[in-house]
Amino acid sequence: MERLFCDPRRCVGCRACEIACAVEHTPAKDLFRAVLDGEVGPPRRRVQTLGGEPYRVAIGGVVLSLGCHHCDPAPCVDACITGAMHKVNGETLCDVERCIGCWMCVMSCPYGAITPRVKALKCDLCPDRRERVGRARYACVEACPTEALFAGTFEEFQKILAEPVVSVWGGRP
Amino acid sequence: MRFVVIGASAAGSSAAETLRRYAPQAQIIVVSDEKITYSKPLLSYYLAGKLGEEQLFFRPPDFYERYKIERIHARAVGLRPEKSAVELSDGRKLYYDALLVATGAAPRFPEVEGIQRDGVFGLRRLEDASGILERLPTARRAIVLGGGLVGLKAAAALKERGLRVTVLVDSPHVLSQMLDESSARIFERIFEQNGVAIRTKAKPVAVLGREKLQGVQLASGEVFEGDLVVVGKGVDPNLELLEGTSIQRDYGILVDDYLRTSVENIYAAGDVAQAQDVLRGEPWINALWPCAVEQGRVAALNMLGKETRYRGSMRQNSVQFFGVPVISAGLAVLTPGPLGGRPGEHDETLEFSPAPGIYRKIFLKDDTIVGFVLVGDVPAAGLLRILMERRVNVAPVKERLLELGPDLGYLLPLIAENREQFAEREFKELVQTVSVEV
Repeated sequence: MERLFCDPRRCVGCRACEIACAVEHTPAKDLFRAVLDGEVGPPRRRVQTLGGEPYRVAIGGVVLSLGCHHCDPAPCVDACITGAMHKVNGETLCDVERCIGCWMCVMSCPYGAITPRVKALKCDLCPDRRERVGRARYACVEACPTEALFAGTFEEFQKILAEPVVSVWGGRP
Repeated sequence: MRFVVIGASAAGSSAAETLRRYAPQAQIIVVSDEKITYSKPLLSYYLAGKLGEEQLFFRPPDFYERYKIERIHARAVGLRPEKSAVELSDGRKLYYDALLVATGAAPRFPEVEGIQRDGVFGLRRLEDASGILERLPTARRAIVLGGGLVGLKAAAALKERGLRVTVLVDSPHVLSQMLDESSARIFERIFEQNGVAIRTKAKPVAVLGREKLQGVQLASGEVFEGDLVVVGKGVDPNLELLEGTSIQRDYGILVDDYLRTSVENIYAAGDVAQAQDVLRGEPWINALWPCAVEQGRVAALNMLGKETRYRGSMRQNSVQFFGVPVISAGLAVLTPGPLGGRPGEHDETLEFSPAPGIYRKIFLKDDTIVGFVLVGDVPAAGLLRILMERRVNVAPVKERLLELGPDLGYLLPLIAENREQFAEREFKELVQTVSVEV
């Protein structure tokens, strides 16, 4: 199964992924309309500073973008008392219609990847995006200007990690 | 192979699902004395009128057909391990290759006069909730015995239904199995503000009434009038099925780290199973939904011959009362006592209240998290929980643990230092990712 990984050497902490993610999860799926309609919610992945180093832009290896790892077995799925949190083909998804906001999943997620905001909000791997825009499936990956975000298997990502990064703006080899 | 699972709640369903996932051809039979499979923690939402009956199902309605699991509506009344057989209330006998006992637990009723009266309910099964709902049109006042999770959830639900509710609590404060005194007081105030009366140190001695229930009398002689009583004073494991067998039990069914009972091919999981407690270091029942689901899955894997070690359970809970969420975990949170924490459990507490209504407290022992309470705002509670479960020395990050939104990135260097404690594939990947040379 394809998952998302972030190369900390390439991540400059620009938060383009956060904005793209937040916008993707609005009804309008458009930044300006979402802002005007006041519909922007929290992003489901966040740029985080390693070890809480002061936030610095364009310093490789200090920031990275993190979200749900779609782990299996998923503690959030075990913990869900309504069946809202569930697995489909390896993906961990929350059926927000069923979510009652008990935050059992927030307590259980060892990666801190679920945001409690009335409903449990988490990465849903942009389920309808490819059909809608005809481009990349993931809003965050598409938005990343330095190609720090990568969609694929960890084995593929390891090959990227093995390659040196000359310049974050140069793209991946 | 034929697998028989007794019980169709959290542990039973999770086990049946896992068995089917890895044994496509096996015969899987689930026996339950309840007609439908529903989520017991949701009963208070049903009672409050927030969820309908069909919203209590935590699996799709076609779960049993889809997974080709045979579900028998009967009570398992006898167990004959020497014949590998289970006897059912309808006279049938089921033979098994491996058996899972997931019979759960039943509400504990205090031994007071009149507790068997009509109008006294637990809140554990759908019929309890239905029974209470039937009485609502004629009831004006409700009395809840017990200030634990179930008692308070019931109290809040009945309040939302427009009843006058009084909660009678034996302990000095509510939620004594979940919160320390100062955190509990926050919730006592929230309940009072929402019109639910809470009386602590109140020991009931009798449920009064003739044909109709009239109220509850305390040891002090004081009488609280009420038209119905809900009991939320904890649960006891359902062990009747084991009578006449040599299966070892203490408070519940004793299981090893593979969730095996003392008798071959018989496993136990969920609220009936007394498995290892990672914090107490001894077998204990943490009657919690997430523990039951995990135990059901681990037991099923072992029944399948896929040897899987159960890491152990621990006390933890998350709930929301009148819109205020609270997550707490660990023993140090609890007042020392037979069921609570132990003296000397912690040597340091960190407290923080960044805004009105938001309160956080972390208990440490030798710079290791041994308990925490988050009230009002609960982001990333799972990060604190995993640091506690893995017994990580948090000295390097202590100063910032209480801050709003401690994030994984902040903790990753610490996790990398303690990598042997974090064996999950995803943690390994993360450690490898952040260890790459810049």
